[in-house]
Amino acid sequence: MAKTMEELMELIDNIPEEPAKPGEFILPELMGIAIAHEVLNDDIVFAGTGLPMVGIMAANMLNAPNATLIYESGICDGKTMHVPMSVSDQRAANMSSSLGGLVDTFGYFLQQGFVTLGFLGGAAIDQYGGVNVTSIGDYYSPTHRFTGSGGNSDIGTMAKRTAFIILQEKRRFLERNEYTTTPGWWCWDFKTKEWKPKKEVWKGTPFADCGPCAVVTNMAVYRFDEKGIMYLETYHPGVTVEKVLENCSFDLNVSMVKGETPRPTYRELFVMREFVDPELIFLPAKTEYPPQIKALIDG
Amino acid sequence: MPRIRGKAKKVQMMTLEEAVKKYMHDGIQCAFSGFTGFNRNPMAFAWETARQGIKDIHVIDRHGSNCTWLLNAIGAIKIYETDWMGWGEMAGKLDINLERTYKAGKMILEDYSHGAMAMRFLAGAIGAPFIPYYAPLGSDLYNPDYDALGRAGLRDGKNPRIAKKKFIQIEDPFFGDGDVVMLPAARPELAIIHVAQVGDKGTAKWRGVGTIDKEISFACDKVVITAEEVVPEAEMRKNPEANQIPFFTVDAIVEVPWGAFPSGVPFYYDYDAPFMREMDKASRNEADLKKWLDEWVFGPKNWEDFVIKLGAKRLLDLRADSVTGYSTRMMRGKNPAPRMKMPLSVARSGF
Repeated sequence: MAKTMEELMELIDNIPEEPAKPGEFILPELMGIAIAHEVLNDDIVFAGTGLPMVGIMAANMLNAPNATLIYESGICDGKTMHVPMSVSDQRAANMSSSLGGLVDTFGYFLQQGFVTLGFLGGAAIDQYGGVNVTSIGDYYSPTHRFTGSGGNSDIGTMAKRTAFIILQEKRRFLERNEYTTTPGWWCWDFKTKEWKPKKEVWKGTPFADCGPCAVVTNMAVYRFDEKGIMYLETYHPGVTVEKVLENCSFDLNVSMVKGETPRPTYRELFVMREFVDPELIFLPAKTEYPPQIKALIDG
Repeated sequence: MPRIRGKAKKVQMMTLEEAVKKYMHDGIQCAFSGFTGFNRNPMAFAWETARQGIKDIHVIDRHGSNCTWLLNAIGAIKIYETDWMGWGEMAGKLDINLERTYKAGKMILEDYSHGAMAMRFLAGAIGAPFIPYYAPLGSDLYNPDYDALGRAGLRDGKNPRIAKKKFIQIEDPFFGDGDVVMLPAARPELAIIHVAQVGDKGTAKWRGVGTIDKEISFACDKVVITAEEVVPEAEMRKNPEANQIPFFTVDAIVEVPWGAFPSGVPFYYDYDAPFMREMDKASRNEADLKKWLDEWVFGPKNWEDFVIKLGAKRLLDLRADSVTGYSTRMMRGKNPAPRMKMPLSVARSGF
């Protein structure tokens, strides 16, 4: 008979914290866990729907059980049992500390400066971490029209640090976005048509030092140097520096690369598969565990 | 905007058909309650609006929903002033109908951000003409070239509900805390708010998230409440701290069970992700969309008939349980939801 969730919970500490081998995990799992690693135990995290939400849920169950999760519809510190499909899903409100609305989350929490980590998606990104979620082509007659800001521009500029998750393609990794929804460490001046550091544009505001800290893609993880320029930190297993460069339109700094992105451990995969998304809403399918892990779980 | 009143409103109870007929009209500026396609969308009201052929609507809202999806599907929205043009998050992110209408040049889209729209409604709610917000400097949202209503010549002051400017950037004159953006209040004509319970005098409440529904109710001239159930006002007074909408803001009450479907009402029923995926699929092709609209919007005799058509099986699966407020019987992904007693994060953090 299948184990109950409580029985599975008791098993967690027995599952080895050893990196899984290539082929034993899939890309969304690797990315979800890479996101989870960005979350610190004392963070107040504000995340968007989709993979960011999956990643921070995983963090809350693994490395950062005390992290506070804020969802923009008004949820403060939700403790989810079932993966939400929306930031307004009642599942995200489970056991929350308080429930309010957008004025609470964007005003009282975010603009008041409580949020330490934002986690967001994006359609395209520039070399300074500026993100486009609005449109491609002419703004008024676009070739592609996306959803627009939502909370992206608020969270991405006012959280102390922000991590983005983006699908990497040459046309999505740009020197400058056609439309900048959420500016990164440098802002494009509409009048002078040149880049200006965020620290200068936002000078005097409480948010001059807030900005992007990491970018997680399907190929690699990136960070920002002291000038606010993106550099390659690690590439995912099976990806090379050359492939990363082929899928980037700007002159990417690869001199500080540390090597491969850490592979998820068996314990992390166990939590991701059995507790974060057992319903298979985000994950496309359940990947088989290797025999030694399967024996531990079934045993 | 502040509207000095001589006397209190007297709420009227009416049918869905009557409420749409009385409060909606071509060219109206309105706002809907809830959050994206998932939480407390006043769908029955939008559905009846579509059936009555109301057009040229100016929706001012913080994001799309089932309501805007449907109104876009029949081309009823002319101006869309919002910050997130999606509607279904994980069940159908982008509104394909909207994209089609917009690319065909039949609609004006004005972009803001989520926080900015919340602040605009807050300003509207408290009667302030504008509100300062650290809206992102350096974002194209505040690029003077990207002011869609201005470009369309609609910021000429003729329409009192359209601000003469999209925003004004100023240096904080009081504390000198850098540059800040002043945003105009949102002050639409009509709010349509779907709630769990409303008293027969108009006091209303919901459980779960509030989004900006309280702000919308105060920011708009008129408020129509659609509710899962209408109860005696005295019942609403037993636990007043649970109520959000004071009766004196409300103009009309419509009792419409399952009136938020396919979005959910916490502790009543869950959202129907498979139904929303079907809507998204239908919108990808004009013939399929027409078929969907004929079947689900123009086919049923009335909303009750629509709910009957959904069938008992679906309604059973969606019924929320009284502990969590959502359904654990609904198949949202490929596997059924596991039975859980305690979130793992709580078990691990130890409170």
